[in-house]
Amino acid sequence: MSNRILDFYHFLKNRPILRSGIYLILLVILTIRHLEINFADFSRASTNLTILMSEAFPPDFSVITDRAAWSKPQCTFEADWACSPAIIGITQTLEIAFLSTIFGMVISLPLAAMAATNLSPPWLAQITRQILSALRVLPSLIWALIFVILVGLGPFAGVLAMTMYTVGYLGKLQYEALEGVSREPLEVARAMGLPRWQIARFFAIPEASNALISQMLFMFEYNVRHGSVIGLVGAGGIGYYMNYYLSPFQLYDRVLALIIVMYVVVVIIDQISLRIRRKFIDSKDQIQRPRWREVIFTRKN
Amino acid sequence: MAVEHDEGDVDLSNDQIRLHFSNASIGFETGNPLIKDVNLTINSGEIVGLIGRSGIGKTTLLRTAAGLLSPLSGSVECCCDLTMDAKRGSIALIPQRLGLIQHQSVGYNVLMGALPGAKYLQTVLSLPSREIQEATKDAIRAVGLSDKVFESVNRLSGGQQRRVAIARAMVQNPRLILADECLGELDAETAKEIIELLRSLAKEKDIAIFIVDHNPLRARTFCDRLLQLRGNSLIELDNLNERYSLPQAGDR
Repeated sequence: MSNRILDFYHFLKNRPILRSGIYLILLVILTIRHLEINFADFSRASTNLTILMSEAFPPDFSVITDRAAWSKPQCTFEADWACSPAIIGITQTLEIAFLSTIFGMVISLPLAAMAATNLSPPWLAQITRQILSALRVLPSLIWALIFVILVGLGPFAGVLAMTMYTVGYLGKLQYEALEGVSREPLEVARAMGLPRWQIARFFAIPEASNALISQMLFMFEYNVRHGSVIGLVGAGGIGYYMNYYLSPFQLYDRVLALIIVMYVVVVIIDQISLRIRRKFIDSKDQIQRPRWREVIFTRKN
Repeated sequence: MAVEHDEGDVDLSNDQIRLHFSNASIGFETGNPLIKDVNLTINSGEIVGLIGRSGIGKTTLLRTAAGLLSPLSGSVECCCDLTMDAKRGSIALIPQRLGLIQHQSVGYNVLMGALPGAKYLQTVLSLPSREIQEATKDAIRAVGLSDKVFESVNRLSGGQQRRVAIARAMVQNPRLILADECLGELDAETAKEIIELLRSLAKEKDIAIFIVDHNPLRARTFCDRLLQLRGNSLIELDNLNERYSLPQAGDR
């Protein structure tokens, strides 16, 4: 008997992949037991799902056509659809995403230059990195909660919350891009005897500009998606209207309509951003890389 | 034929001296320097060539001269007659892969050479003065790229990119140009043009040029003095007409 266990032990000893697979499965089982997950609960889920479906279908698209008299800030357009919850909500979400991306970029770029080890002294890089990762610790929803307490309900809290998160996240992407620039332009600048901020401003940032722009567009995409979540705690955007229908009225058909609108807009924005970003993605064997103005104005030959 | 210099021989207040190594050992580990006891003086208006096998430390020597690395022992001085402030911008480095900013235009790259000489407020506002703009245009004209000012540098050929790097060094108005494999794999014709450009720079503006080349035959044609790295010592080839000795098997 003990011989068999010993044999099995030797069998596993030379198979590291199988061994780690077994450990992983054991860990999954232990975790499930610790969380007291009971798969029998699924049986209730199916009946709940039928109730939810029957309430949510068909989606009530009056959220696009009807005027929302209770919108905040007050809507002044003549047309009813322009003041409908869906349109106001999605516009607010886009506006929050836009502002927080711009503000986040303005704040994070200098921080990223300070955090890049090839541009700043090690002690400053360490401190700045700690600040950036501290900003990333909290998800945007928690930031929104904090700012709703600080400045009250509404889109302003949303912009502040998304900006905080954007600085932390974009800053990390940016300092990694800045650290990836080739060494030689920076050495030319150092041999000239330029101060550090000029090396960053005139050599490193232009050299990394493609990556920086593509990251900014990605961050805008990301902020549009997350801008809907922060509305749940009252920080503006389409999530605010979802929450309005959800918690007091339980109008699931309207919430579903809002989710569909949200989905369509996010897909469109993702596609546009992907198209633009593809032009900036660096590739080693691709010799021609466009510059920013060429995306807007076509090059004359 | 090692260069014989005693410490007392060289008068550092001489304003002709552009680069001075005294008893410097160069490398990364103190116990194991790549090059030992470098004694070298480069004067203004001189073109000095450095040859040697690849991996022997030519680039490291050049980076030490540029102040990017400090010598393990001994001293390296650039433009010894200047105060610290005036030394700013006195070295122009042209690295092996040129160190141009890839996404930017020829004009932008050349303009960057003017940064050390620009006033602080101009650099903060990114507004170059008229003189700087004129100097940039002149340098671009001098290297024959006037029609490519707004072209992105990565659309240019290798030879044209080298000219951009040289134009950037010209705008900087340095006292010493350090060029690493500046001629690279250029064809003979283009290499000759660039050599002419460097030669006229050295003569007209009294700039010292320290140039690394892997091709000893070519280096001999345009250098005033030729140095060779052999084993871990720097050797001056006294007579340029003397036959270049091929590296021996036991050299390193």
